[in-house]
Formats: sequence, C-alpha cells, structure tokens
Amino acid sequence: MNMAVEEAIPRVVGEGKSPSTVRFWHNSNTIVIGCFQSARLEVNMEACKETETEIVRRFTGGGAVYHDSGNLNYAISLRKGHPLVPGLNLQSVFEKLSEGSVQGLRKLGVKAQFQPVNDIQVDGKKVSGAAGSIRWNTIFHHGCILVGSDLSILGKVLNVPRAKLEDRHVASVQKRVTTVRDELGRDVSTREVRDAIVSGIESCYGVRVKSGDLTKEELGLAEELYQTKYSRLEWNLEP
Amino acid sequence: MSTAKLEKLKSADYKAPGGKLVRIRLKEDQGQIRSVKITGDFFLIPEESLGKLEKMLEDVPLREPELRLLVDRFFRGTGAQGLGVSSDDFVKAILSAKETV
Repeated sequence: MNMAVEEAIPRVVGEGKSPSTVRFWHNSNTIVIGCFQSARLEVNMEACKETETEIVRRFTGGGAVYHDSGNLNYAISLRKGHPLVPGLNLQSVFEKLSEGSVQGLRKLGVKAQFQPVNDIQVDGKKVSGAAGSIRWNTIFHHGCILVGSDLSILGKVLNVPRAKLEDRHVASVQKRVTTVRDELGRDVSTREVRDAIVSGIESCYGVRVKSGDLTKEELGLAEELYQTKYSRLEWNLEP
Repeated sequence: MSTAKLEKLKSADYKAPGGKLVRIRLKEDQGQIRSVKITGDFFLIPEESLGKLEKMLEDVPLREPELRLLVDRFFRGTGAQGLGVSSDDFVKAILSAKETV
C-alpha cells in the first residue's frame, strides 16, 4: 500500500488538487526495486524467504533499496513549473531536492554531502539514496535514509553484481553504506531524523511545512493503484 | 523436415561511466537482435520509453553503426532523458553482450 500512496500523491498534486507535499513513511522488511530492474537478477529470493522480506517495485528508476523500521523514507511532490525546480533536468532536480535532507542531516551532526547521480554520502559511504521522475505534471523526488537499518540483512537479500562494486574496491554492499546511527555513534530515532529533515527543508527552501493527513482523493487513488498495480505479481516481480 | 533454431542467448552487465548498470539479455539470430530485455539501475524519463527502445532494437543487426543510428534515433524521436546512462552506454552494453552457456 505504501507504494500505491507514493504514486497517488504526485498524481493528485499534478492535477492541482493537492498542494506541494512532503511525505515521510516507513516500511517493514521490504526490498524496493527500481522500475527498470529485474527482480530475478537483483534479489536473492531465497534469502528474502528466509528473512521474510517482501519485494515490491516502485514507479521510479534507480537501484534496489532495503527498507526496515530503521529507515526513513521521504517523498517530495511539486507541481511542474514550481519555482524551486524551474528546469526539467533530472540531475538538477535530484540535487536541488536532496538539499533539504542534506541540510537536515548536517543539523544532526552528520557530515552529509550530495553525490551525483542520486546519493547522499558521508566520507564516500552512502547514507541515503534517491530516485525521482517528471511525470503527471509533477516533479517527484523520493529517498530513503538509513537511520538504524540492519545492514546485515541488506547484504543477504540483494544480489549486487561484481560490476557494480568493482570500482569502489569493496567486496560487499555493506561496506558501501553507513547509517545515521553509526555516523553519530549513538541511537537515533527516525522521528528525530524526520524532524531534522523538516527543519532542513524549511530553512533550505524558505517554506513552512504543515502536517496533514492524506486527502480522500489521495486515499481513493491509492486504493485503486494498490488493487490494479502494486498488489500484483506482474508488476512487482516480472520480468 | 525440421529446422534447428540458431538463436544465441547473450548477456552483459555493463557499468556506465555515469555509475549505473545496464543489464542486457538478448536473443541473437544470424547476426540480428531477435529480442532484447534491458534492465538496470539507471534513470530514463519518460519511463515508458524503455519498452519502445527494446521494440525498436528488434531485427536490428548486432553491429555498432546500425545500433548507434537506432539508439540516437530513439533519443531524438522520443525526447527521452537518461540519467546515469547515455545513448553510447546502451550501444556499448549491447555490443558487450556475450553468449551465455
């Protein structure tokens, strides 16, 4: 259902029926693959079964990410033409809309830096990955911040091809990533990170974030998308 | 009389200089692409355009000049925008595909 909501919001924002929106959410034990990825190639199905990890596909490109309760996901939807992102160049959209999260993490004490194409890194290790799209009259950007994730499961459930790791001189995906908890050397809640990101967004973009619930329109569309797309094996696992 | 299929299955995992992986799984028959599946962790908008590229590649000779022409035509014709991958990367990925056992 989370992926269905993830698509419903930008669609409704693009129609002008919802304001610019930032969404924060959690998933439990889920691999989320990019829309162009092959589940069979990218995911260790056996390990997913053993660890009771679900596999879902999102509507944006990019790579596979592992979600658990130690992750914080955020998603920004702006109507096309929004002054924050005047151009329609995807790289500049990623950089601009990652700024809020970078600032938020820095406020917490994490030495975060945007790294093209779509990462936020700390000393060369990834602490957040993002993806996005320009469609439905919307500029959409979403990301996943590793707050206190279980990196050992990440290593088991993802099949990372050698070609992906070789130029980083690392033998495993775990060595390429870090968490906010590890960077700060203390326990930190996703709520604390969320509040920091909100603060980062507000100061970076000169906006005020007001909390709210999903509208009836967004919920209705999400339900429909769940039934027709996101609950289906054809969408999530094939090819 | 029966004819044996001479189709070859070829695959590649090509890392683009932009950092993204382009994974090719194709069927080749007598030097032509019969079908191709392109997957990977790149970005391409509009997202639906990838299917168009795969369709356009069917029956195209597995040779650099023809592939370059086709992929360039795809990007020009659709206005598609890649991130982490370029027209050149798709061509190189396809050309690097080797026969799978």
